[in-house]
Amino acid sequence: MTNLAIKVHEAWLTTLMAGFMSNGVNKQRLFDFSDILFRHFTWIEREMVKDGVAYSYDRDAIPVKVEKLSVILYNIIERLNQIDLQLTSVNDDLAYRMAQDIKYITGVLPTLEDEDIRAFNSERRLDDIELSQEATDALTLFLFEESYKEYELIMIYNYLKAHSDDAYINRIFQILVDESFFHLKSFGDMMAKMGILGVPRSIYKEIYQIEDIREFFLTGIDEELKAKEECRKLSEAVAKNSPELAKFFDFINSQENYHIALMRDALAHWEKGTNE
Amino acid sequence: MTVDAQLIEHMMNPKNYGTLDGSNSEGIGKNPNNGEKVIIYLKVIEDGGEDVIDDIAFQAIGCSTTIVAGSMITEEARGLSFLGAVNLIGATMKILEKVPPEDAACSEMVALALKASLETYIQRKKDIDYPTVTHKITNDCVVKEEEIGND
Repeated sequence: MTNLAIKVHEAWLTTLMAGFMSNGVNKQRLFDFSDILFRHFTWIEREMVKDGVAYSYDRDAIPVKVEKLSVILYNIIERLNQIDLQLTSVNDDLAYRMAQDIKYITGVLPTLEDEDIRAFNSERRLDDIELSQEATDALTLFLFEESYKEYELIMIYNYLKAHSDDAYINRIFQILVDESFFHLKSFGDMMAKMGILGVPRSIYKEIYQIEDIREFFLTGIDEELKAKEECRKLSEAVAKNSPELAKFFDFINSQENYHIALMRDALAHWEKGTNE
Repeated sequence: MTVDAQLIEHMMNPKNYGTLDGSNSEGIGKNPNNGEKVIIYLKVIEDGGEDVIDDIAFQAIGCSTTIVAGSMITEEARGLSFLGAVNLIGATMKILEKVPPEDAACSEMVALALKASLETYIQRKKDIDYPTVTHKITNDCVVKEEEIGND
């Protein structure tokens, strides 16, 4: 089952990357498929937790640099066909559901219209916005740093959720997963437009296999505050040339306030539970 | 950080990132002030009576600069004898002497992880259960207040 989880993790990320690469009508469909594969991953993970199977979020590097969308689509089909052969390792209901999803997705992917891919050309131009070299560099570094960070947060909250039966705190984790997905998709789209798309690196297990949850929340709040500051700096840097882009970073900045409030809420709930 | 084509390539596709199947040594470089660390995995073989780094990988809790440094240094280290790797570490540390401490911290962490992985291997030749060697950096990764202009 652990190998199946790794393969589904890789297929999910590959499909998400394909969604970033697409500029046309295929984008939303690929995002939807990647969301389905992420849900498969969480269901397999829950099975592993229930059965006491030791697992990690280790995975292989995922090469995604292509010039045509069809190449990555056929890569996804190959990945899904391999997953289909391994479904005997999960329970019948889940195996049936996954098999039916895979059958549908592998049937649809070959029918999607092909596209030329510009997500890896390193041109570092975002739409028609004229940015200074310094602002372009700052935006580049921000996108690499924060896209990884959002992926990391998705995986951390997902791992914590999989190991908790506390409905109150799991509601908060789910909100934070959903929020990080929105940020990851926003940043990934910008990276693809700038020709600097890269798959977030895999996560060191100590990051999500958390031993001190109190420390995790406190550090997390601190990191959210730093992210707000990065958004503020970027907003200032791009405001002159693109008020629209500045507004976007202000919008992301303001969203972080609620994340901080949720993490404080989760921390208070956790501390209350441990003190009772 | 100056962003050039080489840097972007290492950020888009970090080389040698992840764990390493069949590794026979590992070492850790650590920043004691903020919890950031780098672990380097080695697969060492004997070639002509010398220990040689046949394969190498790294993982990190750290920023993009650490990933770029890990990607570059591990690329340099693959295929080197231990003597060559020691020279690489020495040369890296010498360069870092001229770099501001906050900029040097990430690369120092990678260089020290490589040093630790060589030491772990040497110790395990005598004691197979020898624990992973860890080195702490002397530079500190203080986040600089940068002014980002758009002119």
